[in-house]
Amino acid sequence: MSNPKSLGNRVGSLECDNTTLHLLKANDFVAKAIRERLKDVCVINVCSSPGSGKTTLMQETGKRLASKLNMAVLVGDPETERDAIRMREAGVNALQIVTGGMCHIEAQMILQALDHINLEGVDVLFIENVGNLLCPSAFDLGEDYRVTLLATTEGDDKPKKYPRMFLTSELMLVSKSDLLPYVPFSVDAVTQDAREVNPNIEVQTISTLNGEGIDVWCEWIEEKVKLKKEKAALAE
Amino acid sequence: MHELSIVKDIFSTLEEHYQTKINDIQKVQITAGLLSNVQPILIQNAFDAFIHDNEVYNDMDLEVVVNDIIAHCDNCDKDFKVEFHRFVCSCGTPSTNIVQGNELFISKVIFKQS
Ligand SMILES: Nc1nc2c(ncn2[C@@H]2O[C@H](COP(=O)(O)OP(=O)(O)O)[C@@H](O)[C@H]2O)c(=O)[nH]1
Ligand SMILES: [Mg+2]
Ligand SMILES: [Zn+2]
Repeated sequence: MSNPKSLGNRVGSLECDNTTLHLLKANDFVAKAIRERLKDVCVINVCSSPGSGKTTLMQETGKRLASKLNMAVLVGDPETERDAIRMREAGVNALQIVTGGMCHIEAQMILQALDHINLEGVDVLFIENVGNLLCPSAFDLGEDYRVTLLATTEGDDKPKKYPRMFLTSELMLVSKSDLLPYVPFSVDAVTQDAREVNPNIEVQTISTLNGEGIDVWCEWIEEKVKLKKEKAALAE
Repeated sequence: MHELSIVKDIFSTLEEHYQTKINDIQKVQITAGLLSNVQPILIQNAFDAFIHDNEVYNDMDLEVVVNDIIAHCDNCDKDFKVEFHRFVCSCGTPSTNIVQGNELFISKVIFKQS
């Protein structure tokens, strides 16, 4: 980062200061503190439009991984506690972050929430972000991975409309794949679109309704948890 | 949208950096990369609403400069402009090495004549 201190120079009778004062940098500072604190917990930031299936996926993942991993979820919602209640009913350790109408979660909200959720023995912490493909992309939450869901009902032209989200995601989950026979949506086209934005993005198709792709997704999580633990062990 | 938090951050950053001199600022310019998801018109509206509510800043102007997205191609070892959100160089090599486009910063501050 360049030095924010700059000297004023006079242009005519106007004093003009050419400078570089970065905005929203407080968030990156807090995100760093979260990474420091969660050295051996794999943190996954789950993003999508409203209704793409994030909460349902968290419920299903909790059930499938219950015997293998200890998972917790922080879930952001502009106004209600509904999603956390749904997850707790499915046996998932979940805490709601009510963002008070805000369109995204900021790192500060996560840092505060960490004091209110039991992370004893937790291997993987999911953050279900607020349903929005735009704003959350600019806020690092201290996560290790960002996963973006795109439902087959949303159209296969979305990656380029929200490039920063797909650019910053390691994995795109094409959700509601059970609906593929009924909607004009091409997994090949969406994969190509996403890879033109981010050539490294992984793509999986998944359905919580008929179970397609859930095993591959759960293996992906287990792999990432293992990587995080190895990294933490090395750093000790 | 979070335009208002950006506007508040502009003012807290200016206050921190220029302290009381902030009252002499006539115009502030911010530079936003196309990937920062900042809409100049929305920022302008949020800025106007903010200065309307904060009398000392009533006369301050805002200018938003939008930066193109520039990525680096390792194959050609040169930078290329990303158009239509196609992060692929003209040589066909894709790139996620963004050298410009994510940024959001205050780039210029002009003070009133004293
Ligand atoms: N057909 C189908 N519907 C799904 C699937 N997953 C979730 N849904 C439905 O999509 C709606 C929104 O799901 P929800 O998990 O609340 O989405 P969120 O807003 O992203 O958390 C609900 O009515 C779900 O039952 C799926 O795999 N297939
Ligand atoms: Mg939800
Ligand atoms: Zn090239």
